[in-house]
Amino acid sequence: MDLKFLVVDDSVTMRRIVINSLRSLGYSNFVEACDGKDALDKLSVDDGINFVITDWNMPVLSGLELVRSIRGDEKHSKLAILMVTTRGVKEDIIEALQAKVNNYVVKPFTPQILKEKIDQIITAS
Amino acid sequence: MKKVNNMSDLFERLNDLKVVFFYGQKFIPIIQSIIDFMSETVPLLEDINTSISDSTNKIPKAKDQIDNVTNATELATTEILDTVDLISAEIEKIENELKTIQTKEEERKMVWEQIRVVLNQNSNSAGLIERYETIESISIIIPRLLIVFSKTKNDVNNIALSLQVQDITSQQLASVNHLIESVRQRLASLVMHLDESDIKDIESIQTIIPDTAAFNPDAIYTKSREKQEAADILVNNRLNKTSQDEIDKLFS
Repeated sequence: MDLKFLVVDDSVTMRRIVINSLRSLGYSNFVEACDGKDALDKLSVDDGINFVITDWNMPVLSGLELVRSIRGDEKHSKLAILMVTTRGVKEDIIEALQAKVNNYVVKPFTPQILKEKIDQIITAS
Repeated sequence: MKKVNNMSDLFERLNDLKVVFFYGQKFIPIIQSIIDFMSETVPLLEDINTSISDSTNKIPKAKDQIDNVTNATELATTEILDTVDLISAEIEKIENELKTIQTKEEERKMVWEQIRVVLNQNSNSAGLIERYETIESISIIIPRLLIVFSKTKNDVNNIALSLQVQDITSQQLASVNHLIESVRQRLASLVMHLDESDIKDIESIQTIIPDTAAFNPDAIYTKSREKQEAADILVNNRLNKTSQDEIDKLFS
């Protein structure tokens, strides 16, 4: 499957680490966004994006709100979404799952975990 | 006031007055000590007010300094990531060169086999052939080097991954900033109650509290996989693969 990732994080460092990890896994197509609103803007102009990797805590529009916006939009509701966040308490994970993220990664992560979750999402879809 | 009708009433009133004076005399030292206490306390309260006001005014600077730390670490992290990328690219270049040499070595070996056949016809060359073949071949050294480079590349990648700590600490610092701001607000309101004239100064201090926090106050950098495993259980549970008991056990 040819994947084009939208990597959403307000931290430049994290965006770079996620993209480097994806590159090490053999992926080469990425778009970056610095918050949820920026991500929605990128999605509205780029139909090629089919996989969103998003942080939770971000200014302007949070990752959770981004997920809800995507799921509420008919055009993008089927997008694969992986939440990558420092939030690891049960209530947070349940909230993210209720918002319909496809999978959940707790920071700090390794490329192996990222691969595992991406593969799971691809297999399930 | 009740009208005094006769002498008896007058004496009754004088007696009341005497009682008042009697107690008044007893109270005067107490009132005096209260006045003394207040005259000592008021300057002290003014000092406290000034101190709180000073501290309140210094807090925005403390916040700026924390922001500076966050920015500096982000800059330093970017520089480290740049260097890590350069090192990785160099290692990859060397790996590719070694693989090319390895391919050419195979070709060289084939040519050598042919040379050996020719040289074997000359009895004087036997010693030279034997000596040449005992020299360790590049084809043996290169795989060893490739293993070393692969390990080095992996180590360099691990350095990059460890830099996730920058994002996590910046969230912790943002959380500290939020707390500092809360303290400043409390102090500011205290100053307002102590001295109304300071209200103007306090209002001039910009209050920045985000509606939706862009940080996780509980962010923690740990190598433990516990949280990820717990998340996996919940994700699997959505797919009806995990029991509620397992989930409760993990988060207990």
